[in-house]
Amino acid sequence: MKHLKAVNKKAQQLAEAAEQGQADEVVAMQTVVGCAATTDPGWEVDMFGTVAGLCQPMEADLYGCSDPCWWPAQVPDTMNTYPDWTKEADSAAKDWRNLDSVYPDEEE
Amino acid sequence: MSTRVIIGGLLSCLFVLSGCSRQEEAVDAGPSAAAAPPVEESSGPATRDYMATVSRPNVVNLIDLHDNKVVRRCELPSGAAPGTLVVSPDRNIAYALSDSFGNVFGVSLETCEVVFSTQQSEGNVRVKTIGSLAVSPDGSEIYTHQNRVTLNSDHYQVETPRVAVFDTAGGLDSRPVRTFEAPRQVTIMATDAKGALYLGGADIYRMDVNTGEYEIALASRSLDDPRYTQRDILSVWPIGEVNREFVRMYSVARYQEGSDDLDSADWLWGYERVDLETGATEDRDFGPLEVVLFTSLRRPGHPDRVYGVLTELKEFDAATQSVLRTVELDHTYYCVNFSTDGSRLYLSGALSDVAVYDADSLEKITNIQLSGDMGMANSYVFSRGTI
Repeated sequence: MKHLKAVNKKAQQLAEAAEQGQADEVVAMQTVVGCAATTDPGWEVDMFGTVAGLCQPMEADLYGCSDPCWWPAQVPDTMNTYPDWTKEADSAAKDWRNLDSVYPDEEE
Repeated sequence: MSTRVIIGGLLSCLFVLSGCSRQEEAVDAGPSAAAAPPVEESSGPATRDYMATVSRPNVVNLIDLHDNKVVRRCELPSGAAPGTLVVSPDRNIAYALSDSFGNVFGVSLETCEVVFSTQQSEGNVRVKTIGSLAVSPDGSEIYTHQNRVTLNSDHYQVETPRVAVFDTAGGLDSRPVRTFEAPRQVTIMATDAKGALYLGGADIYRMDVNTGEYEIALASRSLDDPRYTQRDILSVWPIGEVNREFVRMYSVARYQEGSDDLDSADWLWGYERVDLETGATEDRDFGPLEVVLFTSLRRPGHPDRVYGVLTELKEFDAATQSVLRTVELDHTYYCVNFSTDGSRLYLSGALSDVAVYDADSLEKITNIQLSGDMGMANSYVFSRGTI
């Protein structure tokens, strides 16, 4: 807590617990409870800052990214919440028109 | 997977001709083949190479690599993802991790019958397995790495990951017969000939599957070499069976001598491997990092020749750490693999076809079309009696 200052009661309690060694270790959920825990917005550029290294076509990388929740911002969470999102699109390159938006009310 | 993660002679000519002539013969087995798998007439050797791989919507494909033809399309009871697959030592059962990373299903390659499945999540404890699946050398046990979270009404509790041991004779909905606490962030596993379990995480760990004790078999993240930066690894593809190895690739920067300047460092690809016959480990830089690659594998019989793939297929000479050849591809593939004799090179994963290349000329022979996209499924090449 060298650079952070607690500004409310809960944060103060957390800071005190950490100082006393009573705060649990923070661990990553590793995509276990929902894709929102994963953030890797790497689709705009490749590791060199260009686009030549991106998967081609983009559909080739769609399921490899979305299945393990690697692509959370742009597609539904298929690992947990919307497992049937790709049900009508076995081939992303051919069936991409069947990949629609999802709405919580319709899934419930 | 985001690409941002650093992450012959006359004989071969005959093979090429043979492959081309058979391309037209390749028959689409069709989805209906899953319920009543065809027993097809086929000429050729009694023992031959096969590839098993998973594709959408829920199919375990068995590909005859002599004829470049899908001979079985076995349906899984759940969705395909992730499709991590290993084959039993007797080559009769394919074990596939599917069900949204939730469970393993064992499918008879002869009959397509589902003969085994796991029940990993229990009550309010949700279990996900990220590509980590292995079978014991005698085929009696299946191992998974379980990421567990307790879903409470007001909060989620991340639990200690564990290795779960399943009896392959346990039938459907098997529960673990043993569990052991395990390291976090394990994404690939394998067993060696003596039964030790290797877990690919921050380091490569070797676990005793009877006691749960584990040690670092090959240091990766914990490697402290001032000449290098920390390695970056993305590996969820068990593809090393043709070399009987556990293998994963890394990217790393190697500083110039006496320097710690990243701008002048050499960026390299390398591999970490465990010989699954002897347990010996090896790590080796094998070539320059020019483009992103997802998997790489040494060609059987050519230990210095390493082939990597993503949007390009690269051939490296590990001895000189140089690129020998680059092949432009029709589309991105995640997985490279070989025939057991090293004469053929296979590209799979991502979309819905397996590309077959002559490993000498790197000329494409054919594409084998599957039922749907493979996504992050691995390819598993092995030899067995003709089906």
